[in-house]
Amino acid sequence: MALSTSTAPSANPFAVFGSLTFTQRRKLFLAALAMPALIYVLLLGVYPLVKGIWYSLYDYNLIKPARTQFIGIDNYRELFIDSDMRQALLNTVVFTLGSVFFELVLGFVIALALWRDELFNRICLTLILIPVTITPLVVGLIFKGLLLADYGLVGYYLAQWGISDPRGLFASPDTALATLIFIDVWEWTPLVALILLAGLKALPTDILEAASVDGANPLRVFRSITLPLMLPSVLLALTIRSIDAFRVFDSVFVTTGGGPGNATNTLMVYAVKEGLSFFNIGKASAIANVSLLCTAMIAAGLIFLIRHYDKKASIR
Amino acid sequence: MNRQIALNSARRGFLLFMLAFFILPFLWLATTAYKPSTDIFSIPPQLGFRPTLAQFTKALTIFDVPALVRSSIYIAGGSMILSLLLGVPAGYALARSSHRFAMALAYFFMSIRMVPAVAALIPFYLLMRDIGLVGHWFSVVLINCVLNTAFVSYMMYSYFRALPPEMEEAALTDGCTQFTAFWRVSLPAVRSGIVASSLFCVLFSWNDFLFAMFLTRLDSKPISVALLSAYGTKDITWGTLGALAHFSTIPIVLMVLALNRHFVQGLTKGVH
Repeated sequence: MALSTSTAPSANPFAVFGSLTFTQRRKLFLAALAMPALIYVLLLGVYPLVKGIWYSLYDYNLIKPARTQFIGIDNYRELFIDSDMRQALLNTVVFTLGSVFFELVLGFVIALALWRDELFNRICLTLILIPVTITPLVVGLIFKGLLLADYGLVGYYLAQWGISDPRGLFASPDTALATLIFIDVWEWTPLVALILLAGLKALPTDILEAASVDGANPLRVFRSITLPLMLPSVLLALTIRSIDAFRVFDSVFVTTGGGPGNATNTLMVYAVKEGLSFFNIGKASAIANVSLLCTAMIAAGLIFLIRHYDKKASIR
Repeated sequence: MNRQIALNSARRGFLLFMLAFFILPFLWLATTAYKPSTDIFSIPPQLGFRPTLAQFTKALTIFDVPALVRSSIYIAGGSMILSLLLGVPAGYALARSSHRFAMALAYFFMSIRMVPAVAALIPFYLLMRDIGLVGHWFSVVLINCVLNTAFVSYMMYSYFRALPPEMEEAALTDGCTQFTAFWRVSLPAVRSGIVASSLFCVLFSWNDFLFAMFLTRLDSKPISVALLSAYGTKDITWGTLGALAHFSTIPIVLMVLALNRHFVQGLTKGVH
């Protein structure tokens, strides 16, 4: 940086630091600016997370405080054989894979349709983003209401025509999880479309033009040029969405609460139920930590892929 | 040429269809608020209705809507202000520092945003209980601020990094203090990033209900929590719920539409 070689202006109000060089004072100043945020996040974010790992090693129930004792990894060992936990993990994985897949496919098609810069597309983009801004809780309520089998605008006909269970889509274990995936797709596809659209707009237009001038048909241009060049954007959308989908809570909690049975129980819902409804802090912390570990692994894997393809793209 | 026109209309038709798909469910809840209860419960369900404001009067008598909105504003506004105060300087420092810690710290802030909320919520709840803040809206501000500060730091880091340092350097050589160079020269240049950051802070904390559900009490709960508790209560119909949802969704939707440019820019630039 050019600054490191320049010398201090003589009339400096920070006279206390007069004996320091400019570079030293610069470093101090920048550190002072970053410190409050770092301390805050460490104190109120990281400290509770570490405390959570600590709690997960205890048999700790707020209702039975006398029983509290250190049990090592027993909470985790219990989860390993817990069929509810296995179901919750499976549901979370299915939910994540399902919603991210449909969001990417539909999002890509929408992004392609919105690619051309024109007034119509700009207005469409603005309005299409509305689901992203609505409280996830309200999104859950909207679909709960629409899909009610008794008098819901959509659910009534689904039940009448025998497409859904007579008690509605949420009431049957066969359709409940798929319905939740549908809700997630409704809420987050616009965001995926937007991220992919930004990627499309950043594509080098000369390559695409050259290909079509050379007479390549549009499908071939898409497959051999657009798609490979879009890979980093796709991976980015994949990262953001899979991490969020893995942490799904609001829409599940409002619509099914994890039911029927535990057909839609996800890791987050399971942890919240155990911890804040049953006050079983030890077990809940263990579930939360498993979910934390999974999220970290997804993030690490996808970020590794992004860097890999970024390097490849820059070599080309 | 005819083929192109046909393709173009097909494209626009598809977009209009998608628009309907993404907007109609929201409009359904919004319009439910203007339906009399008899129309809501009609079997088979129907689209037409005789508009009425009765659901709003009902919502306003059952709920203390001003208090709910006030709590939501305290929570969203409080965490926005605190996160900006902490996050904007941090983002600047990370972007301007050449220290190897700076990069690591930026990634640290980014990864904090990905933590499953419940992993932090349970210990945080116990922490707040120990210092006697459970039940106060400020505890929700505190926990929202962890995620928001990390988010703002990372977002502002990418905005400041895109800003060439020459202007600041010129100001510094002219005898500006470091703080003045930051405050007067760099900060105004990233106005757009600050607007986007504030928008997302408000959006995240206004829309959150997991934290608020466990950290607030009857007298301090925000509108999101009220919506959840309203649902499933016997004498509250979908109409009343729709009326109540107006107060929760309309301010945010209007805000995002008004600041759309910043919203889109922030989503494509800052989220990653």
